[in-house]
Amino acid sequence: MSAHIRLHPCKEGVPLKRTRSTVLATTSILALSLAACGGGADSADDSSGSFTPRGDVTMIVPFGAGGGSDRAGRATATMIEAADKDASVNVENREGGSGAVGYSTFLGKNGDAQTLLATETALLALPLSGEVEFDYTDFTPIMKLGDDYTLMIVPADSPYETCTDVVDAAENERITAGISGITGLDNIVFTLTEQETGVEFDRVPFESGGELTAALLGGQIDIASLNPGEIIGQLESGDVKALCAYSEERYSDYEELADIETAKEQGIDVAFAQFRGVLAPGGIADAAKDYWVSTLEKAVGTDEYKTYIEDNYLQANTASGDDFTEYLKGNNELLKQVLEG
Amino acid sequence: MLDNLVLGFSTALTPENLLWCFVGVLIGTVVGVLPGLGSTTGVAVLLPLTLSLEPVTGLIMLAGIYYGSQYGGTITSVLISTPGEASSVVTTLDGYQMARQGRAGAALAISAIGSFVAAIISLGLLVALAPPFARFALDFGPPEMLAVMILGLATIVSFAGDNRALGLLMALTGLLISTVGVEPGSGTSRFTFHSIYLLGGVPFVEVMIGLFAVGEVLYQIREGAAAPIRAGFRELLISKADLKRSAAPILRGSFLGFLFGILPGAGSTLASFMAYGIEKRVSKRGHEFGTGAIEGVAAPESANNAAANANFVPTLTLGIPGGATTAVLLGAFMINGIQPGPLLFDEQPALVWGLLASFFIGNVILLVLNLPLAPVFAQILRVPYGYMYPMILLTSLVGAYSISNSMYSVWVVLIFGIIGYFMKRLDLPMAPLVLGLVLGPLFEKALVQTSAIGDGNIGIVFTRPLALAVMALAIIQIVAPSLMARLLRRRNSSRARKADQAAEDKTEEHSHG
Repeated sequence: MSAHIRLHPCKEGVPLKRTRSTVLATTSILALSLAACGGGADSADDSSGSFTPRGDVTMIVPFGAGGGSDRAGRATATMIEAADKDASVNVENREGGSGAVGYSTFLGKNGDAQTLLATETALLALPLSGEVEFDYTDFTPIMKLGDDYTLMIVPADSPYETCTDVVDAAENERITAGISGITGLDNIVFTLTEQETGVEFDRVPFESGGELTAALLGGQIDIASLNPGEIIGQLESGDVKALCAYSEERYSDYEELADIETAKEQGIDVAFAQFRGVLAPGGIADAAKDYWVSTLEKAVGTDEYKTYIEDNYLQANTASGDDFTEYLKGNNELLKQVLEG
Repeated sequence: MLDNLVLGFSTALTPENLLWCFVGVLIGTVVGVLPGLGSTTGVAVLLPLTLSLEPVTGLIMLAGIYYGSQYGGTITSVLISTPGEASSVVTTLDGYQMARQGRAGAALAISAIGSFVAAIISLGLLVALAPPFARFALDFGPPEMLAVMILGLATIVSFAGDNRALGLLMALTGLLISTVGVEPGSGTSRFTFHSIYLLGGVPFVEVMIGLFAVGEVLYQIREGAAAPIRAGFRELLISKADLKRSAAPILRGSFLGFLFGILPGAGSTLASFMAYGIEKRVSKRGHEFGTGAIEGVAAPESANNAAANANFVPTLTLGIPGGATTAVLLGAFMINGIQPGPLLFDEQPALVWGLLASFFIGNVILLVLNLPLAPVFAQILRVPYGYMYPMILLTSLVGAYSISNSMYSVWVVLIFGIIGYFMKRLDLPMAPLVLGLVLGPLFEKALVQTSAIGDGNIGIVFTRPLALAVMALAIIQIVAPSLMARLLRRRNSSRARKADQAAEDKTEEHSHG
């Protein structure tokens, strides 16, 4: 539970020390000059030989502060700084259009190895929606950090005990499933479950895990599919129960989740992960790519990485460089099959 | 309960926590003052800075920014008709008129007092009754929220100004603008013209800055600079009569704000609009609203503060954010490795009660800070507009840029600034447009969800008791004024007939006598 993370909230701002008096002084200044934050980093392309980042590196988070993507981006920044003591990473939130604004900004950083992006499934889902001008091949995949699966959740007083119960019930009656968006992980696993079993769930669209939790507790919907990190509080208090995990393997690393069977164990052959990872822009020099891949390989060995994975209930399945690219390729095909029906 | 409060205050009163509470509310006030820099942006931007602090200290500071901004948002609404927060939009209606009459000091003072009273009332309710209120909020599913949104839209009739049709037209325009972006049900994009920026819709904070701040400046430039307002010292202070007039509106606003605040998503903006609408109805001085009635400042300002606190009910007891800013605060919990949820009170008593106790302390600080400063802030109006306008424009544009670090926001501000200018020239009311824009996405979401839950039938709004009750309120809201008017007319005319009769009888008597 380390809250002591070194931060660089504002590149042009006053360098932030850990002493509290400095924080006091800078907070008030920063409050008045918030707009001074941001701005491009000067590119440090070194096409010959080795690469090390010059000055601050920018980590773009394509979603707002406080969300899952933001936590991943900030944790990654800390890991990188732990892996390379000379590196210093600023996190910049570029939210809008379900991530489209952040990724499009990143597309404009082509060749700039001073900029990274905290990526997740939106990288594949957005291009499949046909609204954006990029796809995953426009960027340089550096490292897949881990997998976030979902659990099928029902209220504590629900008659169902397994995911199979829900599927059986859906054959004869109406089951309403809350989802957090068309390209959300929850909609994807429900669609896969439907394709696998031939039943149908009626979707009710919500906008976040929090809204889904409220709807479940209030009895507005029958089922939802949520990340363990989103629902662990209600699981531990006994207000909801988890019927199955849509993961390849059980959450055996987590005592509180280890008893939850996978959907596969219950006879529903569905598992789909939301990955978390790091991208560099496309068109960067090989040396730069090598530097980032090896730095991130070191980063996933740090304590900071372990804390991040554990705090967020992820499964620590990593893949670096070209392996990450291969993973994206396979994941993209599967996603295409789901979204295009 | 008492143990918990003692634990809370002993946590909140450590020198370090006191200091950061003070810093938080101070920054919050500044953030609230600056247009565009709403509490959500303020908390999000400063969140990383608090990570070097103890979790409870960091959260105390971030929460301070949140409720501090509710105080600050009023200042510019009153002084220069530029709301710093969406929840202060409705305060411009009477607050700015009061300022033009040299009574800015009184307007600012009553909003500080109203905010403080509302804070204490809502915190008392929060501390004593958070869990049952949270259960109540869960009963508000999509059909109930749909009814609430209809109720919200129905209030438009009460502050549309003289011309109700124009007000409705503006609200409709706001609703139409809110349809830009990705549709919540199917994910289809509407009116986006292949722009990734429009996928997220037209952001109302930018629209608000454009309409109010930039629009007002452009309009004033055309009018020729108004003379700076020089108010006497006496007029800057709040009078006993003002306080007496405001007492009931503050209490009504506080309870109303609390009720709206605990509903996830409805939030403080709707609460402030509703409080204003209802106050206009029930107040003896309803006809003075819009011309500088102090009740028109007291009610919405109490309501938005109460709602801001009530937002913590679902946030702390269920781990479900009540609004945009509490969502970011929830993220702050999680970044600190604290899992919000039903067990939070049991697992982290020092943190939760310390945080709640800090709200009391923070609000006292804010009152002490804002009350004496009200006349001082009012002096800003002495600055010649020639200096003030460039400052307003600058802070508006910088504020807009800082929302998402992008020029898109700046363009939205400029475009709506020009629209705002023409709306002012044509005398079109702007508040209904903002309400339409704020409620539009919420209304649509509730509609889509209700239809999905009802398997295509939105009639379930009338079959669920809670939803039906709210719908009834909405209908009363719409038909009551004309019904009342008709009743009054009938009573008046029958009274007049009686009077005529009496007069006739008298004359007859006279003629006989």
